[in-house]
Amino acid sequence: MTTKQLSPEIEARIQELWPRFPPQNVAKALCIPVLYLAQQQFGMVDDDVVDLVAERLGLPPAHVKGTATFYTMFNKKPVGRFHLQVCTNIGCQITGAYEVFDRCRQRLGVGNHGTTEDGNITLSEVECLAACGYGPVAQIAERAKPDIPLYFENLDIERIDQILDALADGDVPTQLGS
Amino acid sequence: MAMFRPNWGADTVGWFDLKIISRHFDVPEAKDIEYFEKHGGYASARKAVKMDPASIHAEVKASNLRGRGGAGFPTGVKWGFVPKDAETVYLVVNADESEPGTFKDRHILFWNPHMLIEGMIIAARSLGVQNAYIYIRGEMQREYPVLQRALDQAYAKGYLGKRCFGGDMDFDITIYRGAGAYICGEETALLSSLEGGRGWPRLKPPFPAVKGLWGQPTIVNNVETIANLPWILENGGQAFADLGVGRSGGLRIVSVCGHVNKPGVYELPLSVTGRELIEDVCGGMRGGRKVKAVIPGGVSMPLLDESELDVPFEFDALQQDERIAEVEVQPGIKFDLGGGRTLRTMAGSGGVVVMDEDTDLVSACWRILHFFADESCGQCTPCREGTGWLVRVVKRIDAGEGRPGDVELVASIADGIAGNTICALGDAAAWPTLAFLTKFRDEFQAKIRSSTFVAQQRAAAEQGAP
Ligand SMILES: Cc1cc2nc3c(=O)[nH]c(=O)nc-3n(C[C@H](O)[C@H](O)[C@H](O)COP(=O)(O)O)c2cc1C
Ligand code: SF4
Ligand code: FES
Repeated sequence: MTTKQLSPEIEARIQELWPRFPPQNVAKALCIPVLYLAQQQFGMVDDDVVDLVAERLGLPPAHVKGTATFYTMFNKKPVGRFHLQVCTNIGCQITGAYEVFDRCRQRLGVGNHGTTEDGNITLSEVECLAACGYGPVAQIAERAKPDIPLYFENLDIERIDQILDALADGDVPTQLGS
Repeated sequence: MAMFRPNWGADTVGWFDLKIISRHFDVPEAKDIEYFEKHGGYASARKAVKMDPASIHAEVKASNLRGRGGAGFPTGVKWGFVPKDAETVYLVVNADESEPGTFKDRHILFWNPHMLIEGMIIAARSLGVQNAYIYIRGEMQREYPVLQRALDQAYAKGYLGKRCFGGDMDFDITIYRGAGAYICGEETALLSSLEGGRGWPRLKPPFPAVKGLWGQPTIVNNVETIANLPWILENGGQAFADLGVGRSGGLRIVSVCGHVNKPGVYELPLSVTGRELIEDVCGGMRGGRKVKAVIPGGVSMPLLDESELDVPFEFDALQQDERIAEVEVQPGIKFDLGGGRTLRTMAGSGGVVVMDEDTDLVSACWRILHFFADESCGQCTPCREGTGWLVRVVKRIDAGEGRPGDVELVASIADGIAGNTICALGDAAAWPTLAFLTKFRDEFQAKIRSSTFVAQQRAAAEQGAP
């Protein structure tokens, strides 16, 4: 059994959302929102977190696990302090996303979904971020501030280098983002 | 109504004069309910809550509003499928925007969230909905707080919740955040996800309007579709229909990306052609290069070549105009959409991808297939196995390792997927693939002719020869 506990903020949010769903369906419907919040608290969704959510909502752990593994935003492994997500889909591909992504790989010395040894940066190649007109596009999520991501648009080697420099120093280069 | 007529005749930028949804784009204050109301916001909703539901429905029908999420289905007709005696009806707004090349809903959510909320109140009144959900894509972390704040403001004013606008209607809106799965944009997958499980599509029929969320009648509409409703109620369905072309009412928001000088989000008349879009709206091609290909409505839709750009980017025209070639399975053999109908292309999600003469289309085709293979939910064998196989074969052609017969192989795999799956993701992978081969076959063939595989075969044959 895990010693982890859901935070009081999550409890409060569950109370808030509960009446928004039909009584007979609410536990299941809250599975994804609660997984979300739990990931913000614990940084990832591992088996312990799955058990915790299942127990709180009274759902079979297998259901919660099946749900968690279906969605790419639930991290099964810990991610770095900064999660750098580079879109390489069509709009970004044809404006140079693979050069940008390869630059990141090379400078960070990690592959797709890899995390630098110091735990600072996780690099992911992601699908369309719905900013295709301003490609190549990347998004950076900072672990401590999951709801304040920044988009970085019109990337090229020079701009991604500036971003990587800043991240290495522990800063999100907000002045380059939007 | 005359003041809303777009300035068709003017020789300047008359097209841009009328804006319905995008009128608040780039105005940061528009996210505030005060600003929005000062500019006419919530007047239609205030009116709607006192209206007879059937008369709202009649306006929506008269407006010729068609779904902006991909299929272009007439909204008024869809609403009519809800059984008359239904006790509980749900409204779900599809804000999962993730069709590559599409970035318009994100703009609406970020710049004009109140217009969506107002539209939802109108739809709820017409459909008798008490509980609505906005299913917002998980990655839209920047838009979520903006939307939540707008909702909070509307609640604080009494426009949502118990007795909206002091009338007899109770109406709640709850945001539900997706968690990273393209397939959840498909309406039945979205409902599965909202119920709290894997985003698996369900067989249709039954359609959600009859049996949807938790088995109840449910209307799923796209963000842009719903955000048009306040204007329709303010100006009348007929005025909206008059703005449009043929059976398609209103304006349309297109998002343009790729090799144009001014990519972006534009709200335009449906009569605008692909060439006008590129040349006049988007300032022409970068570096003065030529157009090679254009995807008119997100990567699920067959692409066009340069000679096909004089067709208006409108739902029916893109499907029927004879200036657009029919997609083929093999040269001379037309792809059958079922019932003998052929496939040209479709307006889809309004995501336009413009590719210039230097674009490697084999590579582009591979990237699109890679996306679909990744996003297949795996429920049906033709989609799960077929998309993976397509990626492998197109990848090897792209990498210069293609084999003679690969083009025919790709076509037959795609043809085997199309029409044989639970949801339309299978078609979304198959159709564009066949269009690439119909219109740019030479590029695939050329890569195969110069491949290492062919070179080795030739060397072996020469060695074997006397
Ligand atoms: C694979 C797939 C993905 C889709 N993604 C979206 C999406 O992200 N947003 C959307 O509004 N519709 C999407 N659709 C279309 C929806 O299934 C549905 O038709 C639409 O939301 C209905 O709203 P509308 O009538 O207002 O267009 C998708 C369809 C398929 C097959
Ligand atoms: S077509 Fe593909 S995505 Fe759709 S249900 Fe079948 S396997 Fe899933
Ligand atoms: S293709 Fe990169 S953001 Fe859409």
